[in-house]
Amino acid sequence: MESKALVIINISLALVALLLLLQFLNVALPSVGQALFLLDSAEPRCFVAWSKNSSPMLDLGRCCLGARQQLQCLAEEDVIQQTQWSCRTGALAYHLNNKAYHYCQQQVIWQ
Amino acid sequence: MRQPTTRGEWIFLNLVVLVLILGSLNIAKAQGWLIPPQEPIPVDNGVIDIATLTLEQKIAQMVIVHGGPWNEGQWKALQVGGIHLFAKERQELFEETIKSFQKNMTIPFFVTADLEGCLNPFAAFQEFPAAADITTTTEAFEKGLTEGQYLRSLGFSINYAPVVDLDDQIWTCRSFPGNETIVAELARAYVEGLQQEGVIATAKHYPGKTLVVRDPHKYIVAATIQEEDIYPYTVIAGSVKAVMVSHIITSGTIDSQGIPAVTSPEVIGSLKQSFTGLVISDEINMLGLRDFYPSLDEMYIAVFKAGNDIVLNFNEDPNEVYRMIEVVAEAVEEGDIPEEQIDAAVRKILEAKGFVVR
Repeated sequence: MESKALVIINISLALVALLLLLQFLNVALPSVGQALFLLDSAEPRCFVAWSKNSSPMLDLGRCCLGARQQLQCLAEEDVIQQTQWSCRTGALAYHLNNKAYHYCQQQVIWQ
Repeated sequence: MRQPTTRGEWIFLNLVVLVLILGSLNIAKAQGWLIPPQEPIPVDNGVIDIATLTLEQKIAQMVIVHGGPWNEGQWKALQVGGIHLFAKERQELFEETIKSFQKNMTIPFFVTADLEGCLNPFAAFQEFPAAADITTTTEAFEKGLTEGQYLRSLGFSINYAPVVDLDDQIWTCRSFPGNETIVAELARAYVEGLQQEGVIATAKHYPGKTLVVRDPHKYIVAATIQEEDIYPYTVIAGSVKAVMVSHIITSGTIDSQGIPAVTSPEVIGSLKQSFTGLVISDEINMLGLRDFYPSLDEMYIAVFKAGNDIVLNFNEDPNEVYRMIEVVAEAVEEGDIPEEQIDAAVRKILEAKGFVVR
């Protein structure tokens, strides 16, 4: 095999092996989700809506747990609340902006 | 195939083998194959001798996880105490999931739900009145009875309801309306109806104010507890079979001494002075609780050491739940958590599941 190509392949394989080892040892690796979260300068926003009432939820951990338990999360723009995601079952919905949604996706209860 | 001749080719060959090995290990871990299988727990005509359970089996019985088909095998192998189910599209999906989980289990799982009314995992096909719409004890009893009948028919054994927080300023639908006296009476009626159908009711979120706190302080919310917040628990302590403890840091009538209530031996100890049923933690992976402690291991130990009988851990990775069990087992072996405390919790759990425990 040509020497330069082999070096490149070996370096690539070594990187793959390192990533697999870190993954196996539960060392947290940066992800696209984390990158999206860090690049987003907005504040996380979460609202709980029941019937005609809507209220902000500043406890993001509890918001993520509540949203996770819903039937499905769909991209749903809400201009007034400035949210882009809606996690709902029936008449109850959690509305999250991208920042909050990406934050929730990184939690162990969402993976 | 010719033998590698250059150093580069030898390195290539070794790296390929290494990647294959590490890849296989990661696949095995993801499938839960690295979790050692637990021996079946011996049951003799409905009688369990607690001395025959290993420490890991006992601790596993204290854990309720999020159940799903993707991790069913691992949860069954670990013999965890119960599974919690989230919302599904159809009733049949609940029935199939529960039937599959309970198949061949000598000690059945607790199957738990968050059916409060406005919080309703069955809302896609079955509605129930919200607690905020209940104004009489007759209505409350009927609500408990109806929900109990439905849950029992599907195979559920615990419902995380009623909410006895006095004021729901966030969802606006989870609390019964009225002052502490009215809330206590409505809750008592609901508990009677639900438990009459054989489903364990869970009063929450002890010691209160969980639904009014808005501003988390350093990821954990804090609140001052007043006598009226505790009053509903004093009324229903003799009838409700479970109480869920919140994460908030409390002061006032119930003082958690600057730490989350769910990890406070003082808070749980004070609860257990008047309540002999199951003490259940709120879900422990909420970031506020995780970040309060320097490490996950310390958080795990704190939750069990505080005196919770059941710990909710909805981490989707069975390897991590198994690691939690091992961490807690080590803490028991080192004397940090009394084994008698673990035994007392497991005794309550197994009796709640219908076994006679020696």
